[in-house]
Amino acid sequence: MLVITRRAGERICLGDDVTVTVLEISGQAVRLGIEAPSEIPVYRHEIWVAVKAENQAAASASITRLPTPTTSNE
Amino acid sequence: MLIESTRFGTVEIRDDAVITFPDGLIGLPGTRYALIAQSENTAFYWLHSVEDPGIALPVTNPWLFFGDYEVKVPDEDAEKLSIEHPEQADIFCVVRAAEQLEDFTVNLRGPLVVHAALRRGRQIINDAADFGVRQPLFSEVALAQVRPAAPVAPVAATGI
Repeated sequence: MLVITRRAGERICLGDDVTVTVLEISGQAVRLGIEAPSEIPVYRHEIWVAVKAENQAAASASITRLPTPTTSNE
Repeated sequence: MLIESTRFGTVEIRDDAVITFPDGLIGLPGTRYALIAQSENTAFYWLHSVEDPGIALPVTNPWLFFGDYEVKVPDEDAEKLSIEHPEQADIFCVVRAAEQLEDFTVNLRGPLVVHAALRRGRQIINDAADFGVRQPLFSEVALAQVRPAAPVAPVAATGI
């Protein structure tokens, strides 16, 4: 892992196409501006991890019969 | 075409109803899925991998359960899907099924947006509000109250 110090207004380049700019530092929070080509998805890590976990859990459920509303024909 | 399923055996699906997710589903392999209904009148569908017999996710139309649900599709996602009008799209949310109805949950944060006519889809992160990834499905609505609504996109197989 690379650990570097940046100040507000400074940037990091990831390869040729991705630039991360430190926009603002306020207490415990840092605002970042991310410029990346549209084919590179950018997600907040904790949300990406949570969605990945839900997809994998949903895909591995042992259920084979999903419930059907039984009164909708009435 | 026939697809193999570890859950349902060999299933015949309509070739023209396969949905392609060019960037896949987050954390799962493969890009081609078929929407499969177990009965005509259902609130749930299986999104079944055409490539991997073991991968199938239950999905639902979130508005059947959450009338005030909102999805904000970011411009770059809409562009990738060639969606210009909301009526071109189906929105599905991934359901975590369980033995008991009260344990069913749905991911309202990471919906699947599908261009119905092009049958191209993408899982997005929905920032419209603070929706959860594991929202209980039957806490507000009883199953009997759910009124099924067919998706705009064609269903690849029914009655498995």
